[in-house]
Amino acid sequence: MQISIKNLYKNYQLNGLEVPAIRGIDLTIKKGEFSAIAGPSGSGKTTLLNIIGGLDRPTAGEIRVGNDDLNKLNQKELSDLRLHRIGFIFQAYNLIPVLTALENVEYVLLLQGVLKEERTTRSTRILEEVGLGEYINRFPKELSGGQQQRVAVARAIVSEPEIILADEPTANLDQKTGALLLDLMHDLNHKKNITFLFSTHDQMVMEKARRLVYLTDGTSNSDTFRGHGHFKDNKIKKKSKKKSN
Amino acid sequence: MKTLILISWRNLWRQKRRSLIVILSVGLGIFAMILSIGLLNGMINQAVENTISTSIGHIAIHQKGFQDTMKLEYNFLPARGIEKIIMEENYVSSYAPRLKVQAMVRSAEASRGVLVYGIDPEKEKTISKISDYTIKEDGGAFLDSPSEGSILISKSMAKKLDLLIGDKLVLMIQDKNNEIVGIGMTVKGFFQTPVDSFDKFVVFAGMRKMQEITGLDKNITEINILLKDKKDVDAVKKLLISKIGNPDLEILTWKDMVPNLVSAVKFMDAMMYIFFSIIFITVIFSIANTLVMAIMERFHEIGVMKSIGTRPSWIFFIVIFEAVNLGLIGLAAGVSMGTICTMVLSNVGLDFSFFIESMRMWGTGSIIYPSIKTMDIVMATVIVMSTTIVAALYPAVKAARIKPLEALNYV
Ligand SMILES: Nc1ncnc2c1ncn2[C@@H]1O[C@H](COP(=O)(O)OP(=O)(O)O)[C@@H](O)[C@H]1O
Ligand SMILES: [Mg+2]
Repeated sequence: MQISIKNLYKNYQLNGLEVPAIRGIDLTIKKGEFSAIAGPSGSGKTTLLNIIGGLDRPTAGEIRVGNDDLNKLNQKELSDLRLHRIGFIFQAYNLIPVLTALENVEYVLLLQGVLKEERTTRSTRILEEVGLGEYINRFPKELSGGQQQRVAVARAIVSEPEIILADEPTANLDQKTGALLLDLMHDLNHKKNITFLFSTHDQMVMEKARRLVYLTDGTSNSDTFRGHGHFKDNKIKKKSKKKSN
Repeated sequence: MKTLILISWRNLWRQKRRSLIVILSVGLGIFAMILSIGLLNGMINQAVENTISTSIGHIAIHQKGFQDTMKLEYNFLPARGIEKIIMEENYVSSYAPRLKVQAMVRSAEASRGVLVYGIDPEKEKTISKISDYTIKEDGGAFLDSPSEGSILISKSMAKKLDLLIGDKLVLMIQDKNNEIVGIGMTVKGFFQTPVDSFDKFVVFAGMRKMQEITGLDKNITEINILLKDKKDVDAVKKLLISKIGNPDLEILTWKDMVPNLVSAVKFMDAMMYIFFSIIFITVIFSIANTLVMAIMERFHEIGVMKSIGTRPSWIFFIVIFEAVNLGLIGLAAGVSMGTICTMVLSNVGLDFSFFIESMRMWGTGSIIYPSIKTMDIVMATVIVMSTTIVAALYPAVKAARIKPLEALNYV
């Protein structure tokens, strides 16, 4: 299973004007990647992730998740795609405020129709894996920003999706907490072979990524797209990364 | 489903104050409604019961023409057969004959037109409350025998005529030959009923005595019947008409005799609709308004829920459940407060004599004992709950249609 994007365009309507956000991107994400989309603010990172996750529709071009052509799916099918095959982590405020950490993680499994007992054991185990074993009964507002993002990671991986999309997951965290969160994701990628695709404009995050897709001035029609292979983390060499283009 | 209810329940308490205000306003509305329905119900019931228990009974048998004219010429002989039919009728609790005669009473001070009820005191006790309404102090007493030459007048009339117990008055009557006869009577007692118009107009004397004065011998003008259950009046009326089968006699129920009380009952039903619509509007606005606000506040998290795969129908139900919870709590509070209050007051009574002097004019008496039917409470419950759901529909549909992307961008 892989994600493939061909000649993707996205324009927004703003006060009657067409605002181009993405102009012609080709990209293939393979199983097990740990990749970052980097670029300055406004370069189209969020737009790209939203389109991959089926939250937004492209103006032109093709996007496939596995065998599914997202352009051909209706809203309900896109909703099910997000439920079963894609995990989301946003910048902040990822959680349902009235549910505890455990209930937030369980919620996804509930939507999937997993039975109560299995829901609880799986969710508890995953929260322990992300280092929140002691906090499972806390409400989001009783957790720090970093802990909240860990719950979001736990919620994203508990349903065992094919890919996790994280839009600037560290943007609201301090340097150290951000690094820890990234290590956690890296670890999960390594141990469970979960595909991660995140956007960032944080240098530290870019360095940890094993593949870096750089968008510059996504709104311009210049040569905006280039891939970087970073292999800073040389302990992990299980899967070497190819350059994409 | 459990989780949806859990989420909506916890959502409800995120803005405690706001939710409590809604619950309170729904609760108060229902409370006020139950209490006012109870009061109105009580007033009407009392007016009906008082009228029945003082003057008209449940069913009355007259010669045709009497009810409209109250003239002595419409008298009849209570045949044995008729009495037997009435006596053997299962629904009947008791009955009594009366001779109603229009007359004039005159004291040294003043005179006044009245309607004399010639009664058989022992039988009268079984169909009306006049004996109970007779004031037993100051030597006053109810009549003893149908042939005694004494009279019972109301306390208010005694005041107007300036009469004390034991005083004499003159009763002037047109007898059956249309000749005016005057006769002296001793005031034996005063009565006071809750029905003002009755007190102003009616006096009681022995039936035998009245038959003597008018020359009617054994004839009477009315047989008054009390049933075991008021609800059966229409059925019993039909039964009696067919069994007695005398076309000269007219058999009327209390509804036929006091049509304006019946219209008061109808008016009461109309009032209920008004109450219900007020509640309806209160519930619609307070709940819809609260939900719309709540959804605006939760715009972002609804986006999160949707972006991780929550179906619109789930969001819809979360909002509906929140409304149902709001409505149910308000309802429970209002119904329990209203019912308890009505029940307590139905025993203690609510004294309105302080500020409504005219209460007596309505024949309700000045103390109202509210009463509420289970059916009214069931109605209120059904209406509030369905209104709640209707009120929640628009916000729920709106929430369900929120586009995840727009919601996510909104923090
Ligand atoms: N909903 C929208 N309506 C109009 N313009 C938008 C909208 N979302 C994004 N854009 C524009 O698209 C471009 C790319 O935005 P975005 O994908 O958010 O960039 P990044 O996430 O890299 O900061 C920007 O110029 C932004 O102003
Ligand atoms: Mg962005």
